Amino acid sequence: MRDIAIVSFAQAPADQPPGQTETLMLLPTITAALDAVGMTRRDVGFTCSGSADYLTGGTFTFVQMLEAAGAWPPISESHVEMDGAWALYEAWVRLQHGDVDVALVFSSGRASLGASLRETLTFQLDPYYLAPLGADYVSLAALQADAVMARTGRTERDLAEIVAARTALDVDKLLAEPYVVAPLRAHDVGPPVDGAAAVVLVAGDRAKELCDRPAWIAGIDHRADPHYPGMRDLSRSPSTALAAEKAGVGRGEVEVAELHAVCTPEEIVLAEALGLADRVDVNPSGGGLVANPMVVTGLTRIGEAFRQIAGGRNRTVGHASSGPCLQQNLVCVLEGR
Amino acid sequence: MAEPVQFMSHFTTVEYALPDPSPLNVHFAEELAKGRIIGHKCPACGMVYMPPRGYCPLCVVETTAKDEVEVADRGTITTFSVITPLQYQGQEETADYVQATILLDGSDTTIMVAHLDGIAIADVHSGLRVRAVWAPEAERGGATGSLARQMGLGSAVTSWEATGEADVPREHFAEHIV
Repeated sequence: MRDIAIVSFAQAPADQPPGQTETLMLLPTITAALDAVGMTRRDVGFTCSGSADYLTGGTFTFVQMLEAAGAWPPISESHVEMDGAWALYEAWVRLQHGDVDVALVFSSGRASLGASLRETLTFQLDPYYLAPLGADYVSLAALQADAVMARTGRTERDLAEIVAARTALDVDKLLAEPYVVAPLRAHDVGPPVDGAAAVVLVAGDRAKELCDRPAWIAGIDHRADPHYPGMRDLSRSPSTALAAEKAGVGRGEVEVAELHAVCTPEEIVLAEALGLADRVDVNPSGGGLVANPMVVTGLTRIGEAFRQIAGGRNRTVGHASSGPCLQQNLVCVLEGR
Repeated sequence: MAEPVQFMSHFTTVEYALPDPSPLNVHFAEELAKGRIIGHKCPACGMVYMPPRGYCPLCVVETTAKDEVEVADRGTITTFSVITPLQYQGQEETADYVQATILLDGSDTTIMVAHLDGIAIADVHSGLRVRAVWAPEAERGGATGSLARQMGLGSAVTSWEATGEADVPREHFAEHIV
C-alpha cells in the first residue's frame, strides 16, 4: 500500500448569491484547495467528483461541474452519484495504482433547491414497499430514534443534549419545541443547505513537501447494510462497525471524530458502532446537525478531520453515510506523523 | 385461485421548483430585453462566451463584469439540419424546417436557432450571413420574467433573415463547428 495523505481542504462560502451555479460555487473552491499547497489544476493526475442529479432534477449535471476542475486538455476523471466521500475513496484507490501522485476530489449539492429533501430522498427507497408510502428520511429517522431509545434507555432529553452541545442552545427550550415527526423536533434534523467542497490527496514523500502536517490515511473502508430498513435493527450499524474494524479505528486513541449524522439518533448509533470512548471530541465542527449540504456533508466530515490533524491533533476519524437510516458507511482514519 | 401478482404499477411524481436564474443570467436577459447581446471575454485566452458563464472552461478562470463585451446581432450559419417533423403529441411543426447553428460576430460560442425568415430550405448553407429579427421590445420577455430562464437568445429574437452579404469561407468558422 502507498502512503496517501490529505494535504488540503476547502469549502465554498455559505453566503452564495441566489441562483449561483454549482460550477461557480466549485471553481474558486477548487482553486483555493490547490492554491493552499502551491498547486495548479495541471498538477492533478486524477479527479473524482460526487453529486446527485435528483437534488435539482437536472440530468448529467456533473458534466457542467467538471468544467470547474478544468477538463481541457482532457483529464483522467471519474464521478460518483453520491456523497463526495466515496469519490475520495475512489481517488485513494486510484492513487494506489502508483502511476499518479496527486488527486483532486470535489463535490457539490444544492439541497435547498428543487423539491424538498424529504420528498426527493423517498426515491432512494425500494419501489415496492417504502417508496409508494412516501417514507421520508425524517420519518425513518424517527423510527430509528424510537429503536435507539427502546434499546439503550436514552430519552428525548439525550437527543436534545446532542444538539445543545453543538449549538449552545438550552435543552429545556429545545424540548419545548413541537415535534416534526415524534420523537424528533426540528432541531433533531440538520437543515438541508447548498454546499461545495474540495480535497487534495497526495501520495508519498511529496505530501510532506507540500504541507506541514499532512493527514495520512491510516485506514479507509466502506460497507453496506441491507437496503430495506425493516431487515435491520435500526438501533445499530453493523456496516459502520465493520468499516471501523477494517479501517483500524481501534488501533489507537481517537482524539476527534467527525460523524455524518444529520439526525440526532444517528449520532448515538454511530458513536457506539465506532466504539468511541466518552472522551472523544465528536463533531467539533458542528457536524451534519448544523448544516446538511447533501452529498457534500460526508466529504466535509473527512475535510474537518483533516483540519484537526493540521491543527495539531494526532489521530482523527472522518465518517460518511449514504442511503436510508445509515445504510452505507465509510470510515476514514487520519494520522499526523 | 387468484392469479399471482406479476406486475404492479407505481406512479410517482416529484415536483421541482425552478431555481432562481443566476445573477449573470438575469443581467444577460436585462441587456437582451434592451436589444443588446453581451458575452464575457476570457482575460487569459480571449475567447468570447455568449451567453456569459462567469468563467472560461478552457482556462478555468472566473470572468466578471469587467470582461463584458458586446456581440453583434448578426453572424454566420456554421451548420444546419433539415428537420421533417413527425406528428407526435406536442409537435407544433407541420412542415420541414431548418435547425441552424449560428456564430455571431464577436462570439466564439454558437447558438442554435430554428426560425429562418424568408430563406428557402434549398438556399440554406454553411457560410450564409444572417441577422436577428428582434421581437418588439414589449414582447421580448422581461429580464425578471421568462427571458432569464431561456436558452440562447430566447424570445428576444423571433427569427433570422439573410443579410445579403457575401458568404464567409469555411476556414473562418471551421473551429466553431461542433
